[in-house]
Amino acid sequence: MSEHDSVDLKPTPGDRLANFYKRSDVIQSTIFGVIVTGIFVILGGKFYTKWMPTVMSTDMKAIERLMVVFTWIAAPVCGVVLGVALYTFLNRHSGDTQPPDGPATRTNGPIVLLWSVVTSLLALTAVVYGITELNSSSIASAKNAEDAMVVNVTGSQWVWTFEYPKLGVTSHELMLPINHPVTFHVNSVDVNHSFWPVQLGVKVDANKVAETTAETTPNKLGEFDVKCAELCGLYHAYMETTGEVMTVDDFNNWVVAQGGHSA
Amino acid sequence: MTTLDQHVGTRPIPNPKKSFITKLNAGTGLIVGIIFALLTYRGLSTVLDISVYELNNRVLLATMFMWSIGFLAGIGAFIGPIRWLIGEDLTAEEQLYMAGDGQGIKRYFKYCTDHKVVGIQYLWGVIVLLAVGGAMAMMIRTDLANPGGHFITPSVYNSLVGLHGITMIIALIIVATGPFGNYIMPIMIGAADMAFPRLNALSWWVLFTAIPVLCSAWFLGGIPTGWTAYAPLSVQAGPGMNAFIAAIIIFAISTAVSGANITATVITMRAKGMTWNRVPIFVVGATLSVAMAIPAFPTFMLSMIMTAMDRSFLTGFFDANVGGTGWLYAHLFWIMGHPEVYVILLPGVAILIEIVPVFVRKPLFSYTSAIVGFAGIVGLSFLVWAHHMYMSGWMPMLNGPFMVTTEMISVPTGLIFLVILGTLWNGKPWLKVPMLGVYAFLWNMLVGGITGLYLSDVPADMYLHGSMYVTAHFHYTLMGAALTGAVAGLSYWYPKMTGHMLHERASYISFWLVQIGFQVLYLGMFIAGAEGQPRRVVDYAEQFATSNKISTMGAYTIGIGFIVLLWAVIHSWRHGKIAPMNPWGAKTLEWTVPYPVPLVNFDTPPVVTSDPYGYGRSAK
Repeated sequence: MSEHDSVDLKPTPGDRLANFYKRSDVIQSTIFGVIVTGIFVILGGKFYTKWMPTVMSTDMKAIERLMVVFTWIAAPVCGVVLGVALYTFLNRHSGDTQPPDGPATRTNGPIVLLWSVVTSLLALTAVVYGITELNSSSIASAKNAEDAMVVNVTGSQWVWTFEYPKLGVTSHELMLPINHPVTFHVNSVDVNHSFWPVQLGVKVDANKVAETTAETTPNKLGEFDVKCAELCGLYHAYMETTGEVMTVDDFNNWVVAQGGHSA
Repeated sequence: MTTLDQHVGTRPIPNPKKSFITKLNAGTGLIVGIIFALLTYRGLSTVLDISVYELNNRVLLATMFMWSIGFLAGIGAFIGPIRWLIGEDLTAEEQLYMAGDGQGIKRYFKYCTDHKVVGIQYLWGVIVLLAVGGAMAMMIRTDLANPGGHFITPSVYNSLVGLHGITMIIALIIVATGPFGNYIMPIMIGAADMAFPRLNALSWWVLFTAIPVLCSAWFLGGIPTGWTAYAPLSVQAGPGMNAFIAAIIIFAISTAVSGANITATVITMRAKGMTWNRVPIFVVGATLSVAMAIPAFPTFMLSMIMTAMDRSFLTGFFDANVGGTGWLYAHLFWIMGHPEVYVILLPGVAILIEIVPVFVRKPLFSYTSAIVGFAGIVGLSFLVWAHHMYMSGWMPMLNGPFMVTTEMISVPTGLIFLVILGTLWNGKPWLKVPMLGVYAFLWNMLVGGITGLYLSDVPADMYLHGSMYVTAHFHYTLMGAALTGAVAGLSYWYPKMTGHMLHERASYISFWLVQIGFQVLYLGMFIAGAEGQPRRVVDYAEQFATSNKISTMGAYTIGIGFIVLLWAVIHSWRHGKIAPMNPWGAKTLEWTVPYPVPLVNFDTPPVVTSDPYGYGRSAK
């Protein structure tokens, strides 16, 4: 503690700053902070890409990227908080008696100001990034709206039904042609459900009477899951089905096989 | 009986002339309550045909409310108001009797106006609620341990999820402001009691009557809705839903009473010299929390009244076929629901901020920042509710603005972190159990806050909404931060509330079991959410098996940890090490009174000349 005293008593701010960087607690906290930041940066890059399911649309890709970027924005915050916390935790006072008094620092104006400005800027970054993504996805869906294929999605306890009005097909499995924009018109006949084709990265509630919409463009062939993300009663957990993104030819064959007329 | 009523020796034991009031206690309350309920049920069910959905709902709701009123009548809650109606009041002796003076352990089962008795009543109420809610959590996790396991049926599972949720929400709303806000806070501000001692007793006993009502949901077929009770599912639900509705309405009355009382106490009854910038931070946090609840909970009550109307009179507030909308319910619910999470969070955080300077022996760093942080959270919390409704389809145009307000909350929350870190900096913390809670908070709130950032973002929430990820996130904030704060507060104030130290080794063991189990449980749940497992599912696909198994192991660890803590609390109550007057060397006023705390707390009213954070050696 004694070297801290002498540091606190340095007369000029310049000296104090120069000495500040030499203090062992500053150095150790910084090392901890850098390590923690590094861990979160690496984790941010790995965690979500590892665990989130196959990306089957640009929307899903954007979501995954967003999760990664937000973790990176948060990494330095974790570094600062955990750096200081780890240092003081390891440098604790042991024993059954109270520790000696520390310096009677009541506040530090510049630090409070700096902290407020930096956290505000980080929050602003997140806001701007989020708004931009939101905007670009709605622009994209508006652009695709005209030539989008409409699928009427109906939730009922506890079944999803998909109607392709232009093709005259109704199914309990969601088949979609690849690289073709699709608009879901979502409804419920009873309670609230939430339509969630997981790998496509869209989700919207199914409400009674008030129709909701969601748009996406699947861009990868393969099966995907359709789930209900809003507790809807007894068999909510089992209100799921599968879907498949197909080539245009396969899709047309499927439509014909279902008794519809090919697009 | 070495401790509970020693202080009585210095006072004459009052003799309220065998007044009627001395005959009443929780037992007479139970009897009158049950009689009221039975009479109401028998009477109404002869008039109304209970095989009809809406008539049955009317009968059940009336029965539940009459139970509550009957209990309160039987315990003597209405004696004061009735005396006022006839132009009288309780006699001084009766008032002294109601303060519980000289009644030992019996006063805990009476309509007792002493804030210290009410504090202990709340403490045990909270412990029971947490134990019940925790046992439900264990059953949920046992069911989810394996895919395809049929430990319980979907119907029981859905009820468990809903009742676990609402039990824990109620428990956490009162976990800090109930026991510590009632027992400690008046002493902390140098007051003799609360501003309205009878309202204080009322708030506890009203809350008490809600507990059997909520439990009765089990016997009426459970609730299928989760604690959010979204309409129209809640309107479609069976008779158990009435129990949920009645319990919430009763609970909302209790919080209104308690909120008004705590706010009035802090505004009017602070010791001489305790200006607003000298108020201990726990008092600020608890007051802001209940002050926030005053406008927030009525909307929950209103939403429940409307659900009850839809169910009992087929009014159709939430029925789209007759012009209503489920979105109306969602709005009313979340206008309560989002402030409510901060109602839970603030007192827990404030306890931890109160603890830091004591154990670091430094003044609180930037008291102003703590106040600004709290105030910022309170203000913003009323402007963010629709972030729960991004995916509901209601006004997608407003998703952007709600995203902005939500992400702004990270700024005042950041100030709270700054206050704690600034106090830790340059200090050597004394890592007693309360102080460990501060470190657990820093990590848990960091994780909870950052994962909240993803959820606040509309595109990311498009994927995460309604998934296990959300569940993990809010458990980090509510349990990891708020409950951790309350448990730290328990070990911190236990010596003042019981006269004994909380068993140290057991509470260390409990702390580490709970915190490690907690990380394991919710790491597994974050993974399950990222993989795409929806919330509130009784069963799941094979792909989620690993993450769910991890979660269940963590959950059992937490369960064991809390059982250890419960043992410590019960054991130490009588057999713990006798506590000195001020075991932590703190400077707030509650540590200047002896145990047992005298009936009026202070022999001479204290005078405050500085804030309570004057630790640290002065600069040479």
